[in-house]
Amino acid sequence: MTTSDDVVALSSVEAQPDARRGSRWRVYLPVGLLAIPMLAFLSYFFFYPAIGLLLSSIQTQNSQGIIGRPFTLAHYARLIHVELYARVLWNTLRISVITSLLATVLAYPVAMVMVKSRPMVTRIITLIVIAPLIVSVVVRGYGWQLILQNGPKGMLNWILMTLHIVDAPLSILYTETAVIIGSLHVFFPMMVLPLASALGKIDPNLEDAARMLGAPWWKVFLRVTLPLSMPGFVAGFTLVFSLTAGSFVIPAILGGASAIMLGNLIEQQIFVVYDWPFGAAIAVVLVGLVFVVNGISMWLLEGRRLRRPV
Amino acid sequence: MTDERFSGLGAYILYAITVAMMIFILAPLLLVMAVSVSDSYFVTFPPQGFTLKWYAKVLQDRDFLEAMRLSILLALGTTVGSLLLGVPAAFALVRGNFPGLAAIKGFLLSPLIFPALVTGLALLQVLSKLGSQDARLNLLIGHVVVTSPYVIRTVVTSLQLVDENLEDAARTLGANRLRTFWRVTLPQIASGVAAGGLFAFMVSFDNYPVTMWLANSEYSPVPLILMRQLVNVFDPSVPAMSTIIILMAMVGVLLLEKLVGLRRALAA
Repeated sequence: MTTSDDVVALSSVEAQPDARRGSRWRVYLPVGLLAIPMLAFLSYFFFYPAIGLLLSSIQTQNSQGIIGRPFTLAHYARLIHVELYARVLWNTLRISVITSLLATVLAYPVAMVMVKSRPMVTRIITLIVIAPLIVSVVVRGYGWQLILQNGPKGMLNWILMTLHIVDAPLSILYTETAVIIGSLHVFFPMMVLPLASALGKIDPNLEDAARMLGAPWWKVFLRVTLPLSMPGFVAGFTLVFSLTAGSFVIPAILGGASAIMLGNLIEQQIFVVYDWPFGAAIAVVLVGLVFVVNGISMWLLEGRRLRRPV
Repeated sequence: MTDERFSGLGAYILYAITVAMMIFILAPLLLVMAVSVSDSYFVTFPPQGFTLKWYAKVLQDRDFLEAMRLSILLALGTTVGSLLLGVPAAFALVRGNFPGLAAIKGFLLSPLIFPALVTGLALLQVLSKLGSQDARLNLLIGHVVVTSPYVIRTVVTSLQLVDENLEDAARTLGANRLRTFWRVTLPQIASGVAAGGLFAFMVSFDNYPVTMWLANSEYSPVPLILMRQLVNVFDPSVPAMSTIIILMAMVGVLLLEKLVGLRRALAA
């Protein structure tokens, strides 16, 4: 397949005979037109609303609930300076980073086994990893609520107490830990899949060579496997971070009042307080956060800064 | 059990973590299913006895059935809508040679990296300014925004694999453009189109972050009803509802695996 860049470069060469250029347009333009319905749809129902939200985040809402001038940055200042809100922002960042790191550490072994096992084992692991992805997040959050239930009737507490590992029931539900466990469960596949695809592309001879030259398993991993799988790690980390930062259901079910995240704060501001500009400002901050992480990831992946020789 | 490429301590650690993660992934789902047949008036662990009465209760629950109907119709509408927009756009992206193609591709896929929660909120603001009161139409629009990029991804991948020589051959043998598309191109991308459609259906059926803004008390899809029940109901009818949803998802997964293979569908 020729890349679009080649084609653009080609068609801009002036020396090309006019006749050929004419026929190129006759043939190709109609195909390009097929994108117009979706472009129009997304422009109107996605791009335009997003700009509208950005605008309302710097406007003021009067007592009738009408949003307009004067322009202000007060809503952003409020998010950063009011301690209650700043803590939510901080919570969101911390939960997202911890979840992504945990997912990385746990996804490497799973992805490695997935790539290197016999086809049957690979198939089963893939099915188990992916299947929950399609089960509603509400259901999965509910499952964790049952497991982590505070008091002796929760599954985890019941098991731990029956085995006499703990004497008194743990209180995990409605804490940040519960939110991290739930988020890890929901977004784990997003880390395993890109990692597995990156690991699958590594030439097994490289690892064999390292081993034959006497490197122990952990050194083979650190010096060969890990550096070569970086593109998968970066892609997976970005996905898990972005999705966790933007979550609503898991913190609502498992976090209670003590682990509120940005998504829950937005919902409160819109549905309970009816403060649209402030809700919009929080949303813009959330999008900004996700964009920054995606930007860094794209910079790392496209500049091929990660594929330097080992 | 041990593969030749894994040996020693490293292998044991890898397998131990993998098995632990498989249990971690399955535990909440299996627990929900186990509790749903528990013969007790509250959800407790360990589950007691065996009964199907909670399923009977759920299947007579007007709100749940109404939500199920709405969710299925919405997901079907979303599938049709996102295929109608996404398949032609995928053609334009793969076969077109116009300036700015890469930027347009980025734009069409951008709802995938945008937090869905914000997509829904922004759309709510615009739709309420427009005075669009029909929650069903608003939900359909919101869901198509979120699902159509999935169609683009799966269809673009399968279009790139199409052998264009076959199309040239068909054209040389006298088939017109439409016939060539219908008889030669479409069969080759059918699995990508099916995977995209199935994705659209499942994403729409489970969607919460867009749905929560656009639904109202009259039209609430399944995820919203379930969330409401979670807070208000403590008998095993909630796990029974959840189990029904899990089983429906399993059917979806198996279909996807049959149609395209899971890894390929998701890697697209």
